Amino acid sequence: MSVMIRRKNDSPFAPQPDDGMTVCRCEEVTKGEIRRAVYDGARTFGEVKRRLRTGMGLCQGQTCQRLVLAIISRELGKSVGDLGKVTGRMPVRPVLMEELSRSGVEGMESEGAEHHE
Amino acid sequence: MKRYEVIVIGAGPAGLSAACAAAEAGLETVVFDENARPGGQLFKQIHKFFGSREHQARVRGVRIGENLLKRADELGVKTVLGATVLGVYEQKEVAVRTEGEVRSYRGDAIVIATGASENMLTFDGWTLPGVIGAGAAQTLMNMHGVRPGARVLMVGSGNVGLVVSFQLLQAGCEVPIVVDAAPRIGGYGVHASKLARAGVEFRTSHTVVKAIGAGRVEGAVIAEVDGSFAPIPGTEETIDVDTICIAVGLSPMSQLADNAGCEMEYDSAKGGYVPTLNDEGLSSVPGIYCAGDMAGIEEASSAMIQGSIAGAAIARDLGYLTPDEFGERAERWRRSLDGIRSGMFAPGMKGRTDITNTDEGYPLSASLLARGFLDGADDGIFPSMIYSGGMRPIIECTQNIPCDPCQDACPRGCIVVGEDITDLPRLDIGKKCTGCALCVGACSGQAIFLIDDSLGDGYGTVGLPYEFLPLPSPGDPGKALGRDGEVVCDASVVEVRDSKAMDKTPMLVMKVPVSALGRARFFRPAENKNYA
Repeated sequence: MSVMIRRKNDSPFAPQPDDGMTVCRCEEVTKGEIRRAVYDGARTFGEVKRRLRTGMGLCQGQTCQRLVLAIISRELGKSVGDLGKVTGRMPVRPVLMEELSRSGVEGMESEGAEHHE
Repeated sequence: MKRYEVIVIGAGPAGLSAACAAAEAGLETVVFDENARPGGQLFKQIHKFFGSREHQARVRGVRIGENLLKRADELGVKTVLGATVLGVYEQKEVAVRTEGEVRSYRGDAIVIATGASENMLTFDGWTLPGVIGAGAAQTLMNMHGVRPGARVLMVGSGNVGLVVSFQLLQAGCEVPIVVDAAPRIGGYGVHASKLARAGVEFRTSHTVVKAIGAGRVEGAVIAEVDGSFAPIPGTEETIDVDTICIAVGLSPMSQLADNAGCEMEYDSAKGGYVPTLNDEGLSSVPGIYCAGDMAGIEEASSAMIQGSIAGAAIARDLGYLTPDEFGERAERWRRSLDGIRSGMFAPGMKGRTDITNTDEGYPLSASLLARGFLDGADDGIFPSMIYSGGMRPIIECTQNIPCDPCQDACPRGCIVVGEDITDLPRLDIGKKCTGCALCVGACSGQAIFLIDDSLGDGYGTVGLPYEFLPLPSPGDPGKALGRDGEVVCDASVVEVRDSKAMDKTPMLVMKVPVSALGRARFFRPAENKNYA
């Protein structure tokens, strides 16, 4: 992957007419917020996600990941393939904390400390 | 921790095929699927598949799914439904949520076959209820028997958009317009033609720019786009629809492969991030195989073959098949995969717009690519469309797609495709057509018509595939429509021929003047018996 260069934007943030459009429905994040995050220095899907929670809702990015990547790619003038990998993390589907914690205890008891996450 | 020899993630066409290939060799195999029903997308596919006999061509997807499930069952594959795989860890440990808890399993080998998700488009109003994915429309119609809307704008003319549009018509919806931002219709011409002759209008170089409505979709605004897909101001047009259906491609659901540590690559031709695989579907992590759409968007037939190869490769890895036994199977499957991946719509051809002729050298129909139907300029070019009198099939199949059931269907050998299944069908005019209609029912593209000019008094008949309910009855009056969906002339139903072999694609025979035989391709009943 190419070296990532970050420097402060000299030009002011340029609003666009459709900045108010929702892109990530689960977390209610707009196109303008994503563009602003990129303007402020975010360069990857992961960085936008950490700032705005895009892709962290119920659909886990199933709907918006591609849309967010397209916005980042347009803003930076880079192809999506050059934006770096989008990390697939456990849980890849939403799970209740209750289910996860209950199961974790049972797993630890029966299997020993094999879980390494 | 419970251990299985093979853990398959996803009970779609790829996963079930992998499980069958592994279980057939004697491996203890489990399949986890998050859905309440197995089969992935197969059970929504009520249309007949393309390909050759070995690809189960002309069998409906839903039947292919049933057969696959039955086979998995017979082979002792354990299928666990409502089982969501949350992660794949080191030493091939799989975390599965079932019945309110998360359990871990370990596999000697894993097949990740998690399929794809639908791409969305953003436009003004895209979050309104009534904007749905094409897959969602299929789920509503074909799984739950719910009509998605009354009037539907289809966005996207790839095979998914075309097939779902036809299913919407079958469900009793109106589909006034299919738009596509590309200058060409993306899917098979035969799929587009089924829509065009039923009155669906195609607008290439157009997209949806707005969903109108307060609280739900009450209309849509479409506009022409320029060479860089930007809407051209002043070309906006409002259309009266209550549903906007989005069919703009799929993205591989490959997160579990990344989570498992597989080397990933971005490949736009494959639809996004996919694991790097060898030709057996093996990822960079030993023992972890991937198959189907999650490894690159294709269709169900290739997913099934990829799954089979992966399952058999695991059987070889674990000593259940000798390298020779595997090689024998793999060679057959790879040949089959090459076949289904050939032609002008093959995976490697995506986005190509420079193809102007068929393999045989015939010019591609400009009208078919732009408007979805063959026009007068195409008459006389394709030999299978030239009518030579008497009872004859006319085959309006003008693109090199991998499909040949027509040649198997004709008991008289009137129709020849040959060894290369992407070749256009040819008519052997030395052989006599008896009008048995088997070819009409066998053509997955519904592109075969039986023409007969011998009814007398200046009349003849056109036999056409007719997959709409209720079926008209002999004597019913109506209009004969042209390939463009426009009225050609009055027509009346002579008979509706149906048989088990035609598998729910009956042939409707309509009486029209001999002068209209070359143009009349669809029947619209005078009295529109309602579906309600």
